[in-house]
Order: sequence, then structure tokens, then C-alpha cells
Amino acid sequence: MKSNINMMGKIVCFSFFLLAFFSCKHHENEYHSITDKIEAESKNYHGTSISSEAYIGEIETIEITEGEHTFLIPERKSQIKSYACTECHSKPLEKMQRKAIKKAHWDIKMDHANANTMNCVTCHNPDHMDDLKSLTGNTIDFNTSYNLCNQCHTKQFEDWKGGAHGKRIGGWAPPRASMTCVNCHNPHKPHFESRWPARFNTQKVKERE
Amino acid sequence: MSNNNKKWFSLNLGRKEKAASGSCSCGKTSGGCGGASNSHHITDEEFDVAAINASIGEERTKDGFEQVFDVKMDRRTAFKKLTASLLIGAGAVSTSCSVISSDENKEKSQIDWEEQFKGNYKLMTDEEKNGTVDRLVRSYQLRTGKTISMSSKNAEEDVLFGYAFNISKCKGYMDCVNACVEENNQDRNSQMQYIRIHEMKDGKGFNFNEADDNYYHEVPAEGHFYMGTQCFHCDNPPCVEVCPVQATWREDDGLVVVDYDWCVGCRYCMAACPYDGRRFNWSKPEVPEAEINHNQHYLGNRMRKKGVMEKCTFCVQRSRAGKNPACVEACPTGARIFGNLLDPDSTIRWVLENKKVFRLKEDLGTEPKFWYFMD
Amino acid sequence: MRRLRVFGSLVKDSLDTITHGSKRYHLWMALLTFVMLFGMYCYSIQLEHGLSVTGMTDRVSWGLYISNFTFLVGVAAAAVMLVMPTYVLKDIDFKQAVLIGEGLAVAALIMCLAFVVADMGGPSVLWHMIPGIGVFNFPNSMLTWDVLVLNGYLFLNITIPLYILFRHYQGKEANPKVYIPGAILSVFWAVGIHLVTAFLYQGLQARPFWNNALLGPRFLASAFAAGPALIILVLAIIRNFTEFKIQDKTIKKIAMVVTVAAQINLIMLISELFKEFYAPTHHSESAYYLFFGLDGKDALLPWIWTAIPLNVLATVLLTFHKLRNNFKVLFFCCFILFIAIWIEKGFGLIVPGFIPGPYGKIAEYTPTGIEIGVTLGIWALGAFVFTILAKTAIGIELGTLKYKKNEGI
Ligand code: SF4
Ligand code: SF4
Repeated sequence: MKSNINMMGKIVCFSFFLLAFFSCKHHENEYHSITDKIEAESKNYHGTSISSEAYIGEIETIEITEGEHTFLIPERKSQIKSYACTECHSKPLEKMQRKAIKKAHWDIKMDHANANTMNCVTCHNPDHMDDLKSLTGNTIDFNTSYNLCNQCHTKQFEDWKGGAHGKRIGGWAPPRASMTCVNCHNPHKPHFESRWPARFNTQKVKERE
Repeated sequence: MSNNNKKWFSLNLGRKEKAASGSCSCGKTSGGCGGASNSHHITDEEFDVAAINASIGEERTKDGFEQVFDVKMDRRTAFKKLTASLLIGAGAVSTSCSVISSDENKEKSQIDWEEQFKGNYKLMTDEEKNGTVDRLVRSYQLRTGKTISMSSKNAEEDVLFGYAFNISKCKGYMDCVNACVEENNQDRNSQMQYIRIHEMKDGKGFNFNEADDNYYHEVPAEGHFYMGTQCFHCDNPPCVEVCPVQATWREDDGLVVVDYDWCVGCRYCMAACPYDGRRFNWSKPEVPEAEINHNQHYLGNRMRKKGVMEKCTFCVQRSRAGKNPACVEACPTGARIFGNLLDPDSTIRWVLENKKVFRLKEDLGTEPKFWYFMD
Repeated sequence: MRRLRVFGSLVKDSLDTITHGSKRYHLWMALLTFVMLFGMYCYSIQLEHGLSVTGMTDRVSWGLYISNFTFLVGVAAAAVMLVMPTYVLKDIDFKQAVLIGEGLAVAALIMCLAFVVADMGGPSVLWHMIPGIGVFNFPNSMLTWDVLVLNGYLFLNITIPLYILFRHYQGKEANPKVYIPGAILSVFWAVGIHLVTAFLYQGLQARPFWNNALLGPRFLASAFAAGPALIILVLAIIRNFTEFKIQDKTIKKIAMVVTVAAQINLIMLISELFKEFYAPTHHSESAYYLFFGLDGKDALLPWIWTAIPLNVLATVLLTFHKLRNNFKVLFFCCFILFIAIWIEKGFGLIVPGFIPGPYGKIAEYTPTGIEIGVTLGIWALGAFVFTILAKTAIGIELGTLKYKKNEGI
């Protein structure tokens, strides 16, 4: 009788250990962490067939190369309503101001840095209105206006080039198309407005009463 | 379903019926070619349908597709249909009944039957995946007269999705929440939302206890910052581990998805998720017909039924097609970044390598693929 | 062939016994049937409208059903406390009690399964969980372990008594070589079902309140207190209402088991409280909520502050031999201990696990009427099953139910 019980006990214990052993997690390709895994698996990255080209759609883009980053940004000039500026600004600004003609751009209120730092001509070229100008007077094209912003906002520029600042157009898949500064920020008033949230969840309130 | 070494059990009744009706000599595959012998043929099938109705009965009409597709089918209509088919089965009504409507009913019931006893999506072959998607699309069409497009696109190779969230950029507008609800056909009655935006006080650190995730005032509020949470698509997801029927799993591109038709609604995964990533359909989800997003994926935003789990899928219907998830696209501040972690040139990779990133509850070992960073 | 005939006659005879009885018996069964029907009605409402008719939400996603389930697994496991001495150690004292204990285990297990089904969002697709037909996520999911061990235990607890009763029915002695291996197995198994159920919660890193190593042992201790306590109460009732002889000695021995288990349970409770409150961390919030309330939310306070004093009182009373040997005190102690552990291991364990939520949000849980109705219905089902089993077993043991060889079928 006694030995019978002992036998049974042994069998139960043994099968328990066997079961425990087989139920251990057998993960193949165990990496220490997700970062290790990403690093290891991206070593032989061949690219994917997925493309976001179709979603960029109607937007006309231009390709830019900044540092080691090459990507698309929206073309700007065709989007500016009153471009080319020289259609009105036929003469240098100084000469036009003297004339008794209708005032233009009166509705633009500068809200960007303070008056000591910036005024219209910090960016606009009074002598040739079709282009912008850098602090040192070099010409900057309207299409690459980010070059103007990055004179002061160097950190944001770095982030934008890498993709940490700003928004993608189309989708995540290559080719990369990113919005440029002026697509989100009004250069004359670059901050985001405060407003009400898009929705309010009344059910959640009830739940937590 | 020619596959012999299937890992699940299925009744092949529906198939047989189809084969039988296909063999009808008049060439119409959908029955009803008008002859006396054929009306007898319909009789058999209708009888089967009636039998199905009787055997699954109430339960089927409640958990089946009527309620999924938001078509009001009260018990009386169900009963009427049942008696009608029984009558046909008995041969009492043969030619007088409208052929078209009976055809449609028959097809509906057959779809319901096959759907009720189909296998786990994860274990299906591509063919079977297409099969079930076709059935669902057809069923929707039969019930509402509208068409949807439903994809069963698999994970692409060399893709692993990741997400980054810029805490200093988020302004608490909740545009993402809006976009998510609209994109993913979430229940409007219970106001289900995958995304939570937590309004935190400056100087208190990431103190979720004191944060408010249901604020309603002008934002951004003075002295506060905002932090969004949703399912983090853990690479080592505890929710997947605990599911007793493998109704939820991690796809090869890193998405953690749920097969709504396979889930038994035990809510074990909900208890196991440390990030509040899962939502349960406590009652029948309802979306007004006009607001339904018709671009769907089987694992994503297709219509759910009551008693099943659902969650953020990084908008699988969009992301697998190369688009950004709806939240990323809707965010006006660019606080949300999405991409392929395996692509060394992707923007998400640049963020991970160049910003100071962190994740929530990293000590739990769940390896979420959702990183936070600041400017 | 002969066996089949005997079995048929057994079924027929037991049907006969369970349909005949005193007026009180009929009243009792009618009451249970009524409650069961009421529960079924409530469940039909739940089926119709979904789980939204319960008090559960995304925040507290398990409630009354799972609480009762957890508690009842413990009751079922406790049958082992009687099996072991009787079958294995040949302690004759427990012989009569053990059949009752196993009947209780069967009833408890049936209730467990009923609670699990009631908790499911999609009962119509439950076949997905049947191994072979559906997909069974074994061994990863602790819930599949639980399904396996519960059903295995149910099987053991049905077959062993059935075999013994079957032999006794024919007026023969049961062969120990046949049932002892099963009995030993069920001893291990009983520990298994309760540990596995504890692991169900213990394995969730998301819920710090559950994710502690003491949960499993504490489950066992409280189970071995609450289960035998219930058995004592049931034996007392049976002694009162039937001719079935149960000796004082038996009850006293079981009382001993209850006492030791209750003491161990109390020690573990103290250890747990010490850990939570001596150096409270972020993870102690659930315990704070349970015992003191959090942010003015304190729905569980009345419950837990009923349970703790009852628990302590019962344990203290039971510890003194004099008091324990007084049957009035003993029955009272068993009753309050049972209630205390029901609260502590049901509500007091499941609900605070979800509060506060992963991001510190507190949504309290109160069961709705429908939920309570279903719960009552399932308890009535358990009582119903147990009554039937006990009545048959007692009949056979008393010899009133016997196989008549010349009876033709
Ligand atoms: S966040 Fe939660 S639901 Fe999402 S994968 Fe991780 S554990 Fe699962
Ligand atoms: S609720 Fe559904 S997905 Fe979650 S664990 Fe249960 S069966 Fe699996």
C-alpha cells in the first residue's frame, strides 16, 4: 500500500515537472530588447513594396537635400495667391511707398518675435519682392523658405530634417514628403491658436461618478 | 477549405449545399430555375435553413450579422422568416413565393451559417481569408444594399510599425480622438474611444493620478501639458499571452490585432493590459449608416458585434496600404510620428536615434512600440 | 451488459428518491427552482442586451461573476481536505463526510463553470475554447490551464464517488486498488486547481494588487478554511434532517482543519497588510482603496470592514478548544468565516485589482440587479445539484437504495 502511494506521488511529481518544462516559453529569435531587435532585423533591410506616392496626390512637390536628408516638400510659389509679387511691386518698395496708391497687406499684423528683432524686411527683400532674403542679404527662394526660418530656429530645423518636427504628407511609406514650415505656421504669426477640444466624452463622466 | 490539416473544426454543410445547387441543370447557380423538380430542390435547402434557424435560434439572430450590420431585425421578423422557410420546407408554398427574396434569404442564412462556424483568422490560408472577407462584404450588401471594400491584406515583409509622440507639441485639441472614432467605426452609444489625452500639470512630472483625461475647456490650458495614450502594440504583449483562444495576436509587422469573430469575450486580455489599450463592446455597437467608414480591413475597422474585444490597430486598413493612421494624419501639431522601424532611413528611426525617448512602464518588460519624446 | 443494467436501475432509483421526500424537501426544491428560473430570466436579459446590463465597465471589467467563480474554486478544492485522510490515510472518521464533501465539490465546480459562462461576452462561440474543435492557447494562457484542471477535477470528483456508490448500491465493497490512485491524484489536483486559479491573477504584471507571490498560498489557506467550514455547516444540516449518522468526532476533526487554515490565512493577511502599508508605494493604491478608500471613493469599505472583523473573530474563537468543541459556537464561527472569506476573496480581491485603473482613474463598481439575479440563480443551481447528489448518496449509504437483482428493466 505504502509503496503504491509513493509510486503515485513520484509519477505525479514527474509528470508535473515534465509539463512545467514543456510549458516554458520557447521564443525563437529572442532579443534582449526591442531596440536590439530593430537593430538586428534592419541590418538586412531590403525595402518594401509599399509606397505612399499615390497619397501625395495633387500636391506639387519639389525635392530638397539638406545635409544627409533628401525628401520632398510642397511647392510653394503656386500656392501664394498674389505671386508673383512683382506683378504689383513693379518698383522697389521705397519708391512705391511714396506714391499715393492703395495700401497693400494692411491686414497683416506681425506677431513673430518683437519689433527689435523682426519686421517685414527681415525676410522680404524690399528691392526684389519675388524673393526672400537672409539676414545677410542673400537671396532665398519662396519655395525653400525654411532656409529663412532656420536662421534662428536651428534646433527645430534639425528636428524637421530628421522628421521629429512637422508632419508627413501622404503616408509613412517612402518616398518621404514633409510639410515645410509655412504649411503649418503662418510666418507672420507662427504660434498655434488655443481652442476648444474636438469632443467631450459624457459617458466617461457617468462612469466615474 | 480543401486544406486537410486544418487546425480547427468546421462543418462543411454550407459547402455541400452550394455544390448541390451548382449542379442544377438550368445553369443558374443561385437556385430557382422554375421547374417542379427544382422547387423540390429549394425545399431541401430551405429546410436546412429552417433547421439552422431552429437549432441556433434566438442566439444566432442576436449574435449574428443582423446586429453586426445594424439592421433591425426584431424577433417577429425573424420568426416570420423562420415560419416561412418551414412552410417552404413542408412543401406548402412552392412557386407562389417570390424567388428573389427567398434566394437572398437563403444566401444570408448560408453566410451566417458559414460565418458562425468558420475558423480562427490567424490560422486561415490566404484563400480562406479572402473567402470570409467576400462573405462579409456580400452579407453587408444583402442587408443594407450598400457596398463596402474590405481588405485582408497581410503583413508586409521588412515592416515593423512604430510610433512616437512628442509631448511638447501636443496641445490637447483631441482632433486625433475624433479622427479615430470616425475612421474605426467605434460604437457611438457608449462613446468608445481608443485614444486618451491626459492633461497634466507642469511641475508634477508624469503624474497620471492627477491628470485629467476628460477635460473640456480651452486648450492648451495654462500650466499644463498633454500626453496621449492608446494601445502601444507591445512587442511582448501580455494581452496576447493570456487569451485562451488566440483571438488576439501579434502580426508580423508588429500590430496587435483581434479577430472579432473568434473572441469569446472573456476580457482576460483587458485585465492583462497595463496600458488601458483595450475596449470591450458591452452592448451592441451602433454607428449611423451615414457615418460608417466603408474602407475596411478584416482585422481593423470592420463592424463589430456585442460582447467582443477591440482595440487600436494603428489603423491597419490604412497603415498596411502605406498611409498614416488617422490620428497621425489628423494631428494639426505634428506631435504624432509613425513609420517603419526596420527602415534605417525612416523618420521614426531618426527620432528614436536622435531624441531622448522613453516609454511608459518600461519595467514591465512589455516592450511597447510607442515612444515619447520632447523637443 | 449487467453493469449497464445495474447502472440503469441506479439512475431510475435515484430519480425516484430525488422526486420523493418530505414536504420541507419539496418546498426547498421548489424554492431553488424558482430562484433558478429567475436567474435564467435575468440571464436572458443579459443575452439580449449584452453585458452592459451588468455593472461592469472598461475600468472594472470583471465583477460579481468572476468574484464568485474565484471563491467557489476554493470551495471545490477544499473537498480534498476530507479525501486525503479518508482514502489515503485510512482515517475512518471521515468516511461518511467524504461523499458529502465530493458532492459539494461537484456542485461548486458546476457553479464555477456556470459563472464563467455567464461572464462571457459571446457564449454562442464558446466552442472556440474546446480543445481540438477550437483553438486552445495552451500552455500560454492560464485560463486554458484553469479550464483543463477544473474539468479534470470535476471528472475525478464525479467518477470516484460514483464508483464507490455504484459498488455500495450493489451491496459490495469498493475496491481500494481502483479508487485510491484516483483519490491521490485528486489530492494533487485540488491544490492544482486553486494554485492555477491564483496564477490567473498573479501572472498579470498589469495589476500590482494581484501580482504578488503570496496570492497563491493565500488562496489555498483561505480555501481550506472556507470549504471545510461549509462542509461542517452542510453536515450539521444533514445530521438534523436525515438519519444519516455523522459522528461528532468527524465534525471536530474537520473543525481542526478549518482552524489551522484560518490561522494561516490570518498570518498571511497580516503579512500582506504589512507590505502594503509599512512602506506604501505607488502599487499600494489598490490596497488603500480597499481598506480606506481613495479620492473619496469608498464603495468597498463596508464590505471589507465586515469581512476583517468576522475573520479575526472566527479565527480567535476557533483557536480555543473549549469554544471550538461547543457546536453552537463552532457553527456560528464556520458561518461567519464563510461569509468573511466570500467577501475577502470575491469582491475584496477582484474589484480592487482594477482600481485605480492603469492610468490612475477610478470608476467604482456596483453590481446591478440583473447581475445579482444571475448570481443567485447560479447559487441556487449549485444548491439544487448538491441536494440531488447528497440525497442519492445518503440513500445508498443508508442502504435504502439498493439494487434488486430480480428487477427487470
Ligand atoms: S498596450 Fe495593451 S492592448 Fe496594446 S499590445 Fe500592449 S498589452 Fe496589448
Ligand atoms: S476577450 Fe477576446 S481577445 Fe480578449 S482574451 Fe478573451 S477571447 Fe481573447
